Amino acid sequence: MSIELVLALTTGAALFGVGIYGALSQTNLVMIMMGVELILAGAMVNLVAFWRFLHPETAAGQMFVLIVMTVMAIEMAVGFGVAIARFRSRGSVEMEEAVELKG
Amino acid sequence: MTAQMFFIGFFGIAAIWFGVVVFRTFSMVRSALALLFSQTALGAMFLTMQAEFLGVLQIMMMATEMSIMAIFMVMFMMDPGGMGTMDMTHQKKLSLWAGFVSFVGGVAIAVFVDWGPIAAIAPGAAQQTVDLGLELLGRSMLIFEMAGLTILTAMIAATAISIQPLKKKSQ
Amino acid sequence: MTTLIVVILLIFGSYLVAVLENWVNNGKFRLTAPLFAAMAMLGRESILSHKPDRLFFEVAPALLLISALLAAATIPLTPNLIIADLATGALFINAALVYVLVALLMAGWGPNGAYAMIGGWRFLGQLMAYAMLVVMPITAVVMRAESLFTTEIVVSQAELWNIVYQPLGFVLFFIASLALCFLPPFDLPTAEGELAGGVEAEYSGVRLAVFRFGRLTLIITLSAAIVVFYLGGWQGPLLPPWAWTAIKILTVTAAMLITGQLMPRVREAHLLSWGWKLGIPLALLNILIVGILVLVFPT
Repeated sequence: MSIELVLALTTGAALFGVGIYGALSQTNLVMIMMGVELILAGAMVNLVAFWRFLHPETAAGQMFVLIVMTVMAIEMAVGFGVAIARFRSRGSVEMEEAVELKG
Repeated sequence: MTAQMFFIGFFGIAAIWFGVVVFRTFSMVRSALALLFSQTALGAMFLTMQAEFLGVLQIMMMATEMSIMAIFMVMFMMDPGGMGTMDMTHQKKLSLWAGFVSFVGGVAIAVFVDWGPIAAIAPGAAQQTVDLGLELLGRSMLIFEMAGLTILTAMIAATAISIQPLKKKSQ
Repeated sequence: MTTLIVVILLIFGSYLVAVLENWVNNGKFRLTAPLFAAMAMLGRESILSHKPDRLFFEVAPALLLISALLAAATIPLTPNLIIADLATGALFINAALVYVLVALLMAGWGPNGAYAMIGGWRFLGQLMAYAMLVVMPITAVVMRAESLFTTEIVVSQAELWNIVYQPLGFVLFFIASLALCFLPPFDLPTAEGELAGGVEAEYSGVRLAVFRFGRLTLIITLSAAIVVFYLGGWQGPLLPPWAWTAIKILTVTAAMLITGQLMPRVREAHLLSWGWKLGIPLALLNILIVGILVLVFPT
C-alpha cells in the first residue's frame, strides 16, 4: 500500500471531480470542452500510476495512455469544428441558447 | 518521505490548483493557459513516475492543443480579457455535488482497495521506448491502425464542418 | 559544473549571434555593439502599457529564455558536455521548443495592445504550419539512429552525415527552424515596418533585453539542434570536438541569417498553405525514403 500510488490516484480523482464540475456547470461550449479535457487528464494520471506501481513490465499500459491522448486530440478537433459551424449559423456557442431541438 | 513522493504530491497539487483556476478566473486566455500549465504539471508527474516518453509527449502535445484552445476562446467568448465580472455558469449546485461525489468516490476506491504487490523498480527509459514501440506495432497493431484511421476520419470531418461553402456564381 | 559551462557557452554564443545579425542586417561588423546595446536597454525606463495583463507581461520574456535553455539542455556540444542526456532527448528538444509558442502568446496578449496581440496570434498561425515539419524530420533522423538519445544520433552519423543521407529532411527542418525562431522571412510576430515591432512593441527596458536575449539563445539552440541532427555534431578530421561544434553552429547560424535577406516576408496564410499541402507530404516522403534506406542498408 504505497503512499505514492494513493497520492497519484487522489490527484486523478481530484482532476476528475474538477472536470465534472466544469463540464456540468459551464454554459459555453469551449469551457465544457476544457472540463472534458480535465476528466481525460485525470484518467491518464490514474493509468500511468497503475502502470508504474502495479505492472511496470507491460507496455500495454503506456499504449492505453497513448490512446487516451489520441482521443483528447480528436475530440478537441471535432468539437471545435462543431463550434465553428454553430457560431457561423447562430452567432454564439452558448449552450443556454441551444434549445432548437427542445421538446 | 522520498523524493518521488514529494514530487508526485507537488505536481499533483499544482495540476489540481491550475485546474481550479481554469474555472475561477474571469479572463478567458488565462483560463486556457491555466489548463495548459495544469497539463504540463501532469506531464511532469508522468516524468516523476518514470514514464519518460509519455511525460515528454504530454508536455509537447498539450502546449500546442491548449494554445489552439486559447485562440478559439478569443474567437467565441464574450469576455476574453476578463475585464468584466459576468458569471457564466448554470446548475451550479448540481455540478458542485457531482464533482464532490466523484472526487470522494475516487479517493475512497484509492484508499480502501487492496492493490496487490507494489512494483519497486520500472524498466529504464530507453528500454520502455523500445518495448512501447514493439507493443504498438506487434500485439496492439489493430488498435494502432484503428487510432490512425480515427484520426484521419476526425480530420476530414472537422475540415468538412468548418470550411465555408463556395459561393455559387449566378449564371 | 557541466550546466555552468554550457550556460556560459550559450551566453557567449548568443553574443556572437547578435554580432552576426548586426553584420548581416546592417553591414557593420562591430564586436562591442551588443554590449553597449544591452547596457543601454538595461538602463532605459520600463514603460508599461495601459491595463496590461501583468502576469503574462512579466512571465513571457522569462518563459522564452527558459524554454530555449531547456531545449539546449539535451544537446551535446562535445561527447561529455551535455547537461541532461535524457533517453528521449530528441523529443524533449521539440517539447521544450513548443513553449516558445506559449511565451509569444503571453507576450502578445499581455500588453493589452493591438499590434502585440496580432503579432502573437500570427505566431500561432505560423506554428500550425510548420509544427509537423519539426517533428517529422526528427522522426526520420531517429529512425536512422534507432535511439532517441542525442549522443547516439551524433554517433550514428560517423560514416555519413544526415545532410547527405536525408537532404529533404534537412531542408524541411531548416525552414521550420527559421520559422520557429521568427527570423526573416518568417518574422511576422516581430515585423518591423508592418506591425510596428509586433510582439516586441510594448516591451522596453529590462524586459526587452531579456526578450531579445531569449531570442538569440533560441537561434543558437536551434542551430545546435540542426548541427546535432544533420551535420554530425562534434565529428570531424583534425580539430578537437569543441572546435568543430563551434564552427558548425556558427556556420549554420550565418546561413539562417543570410537566408532571411534573400526572400520577402511570407504571410501566415501562404505559409499554412505551403506547409500543409507541400511540406507534410514531403516530410512523409522523407520518412518513407529513410525507412527504405535503413532497411536495405543496415549498419
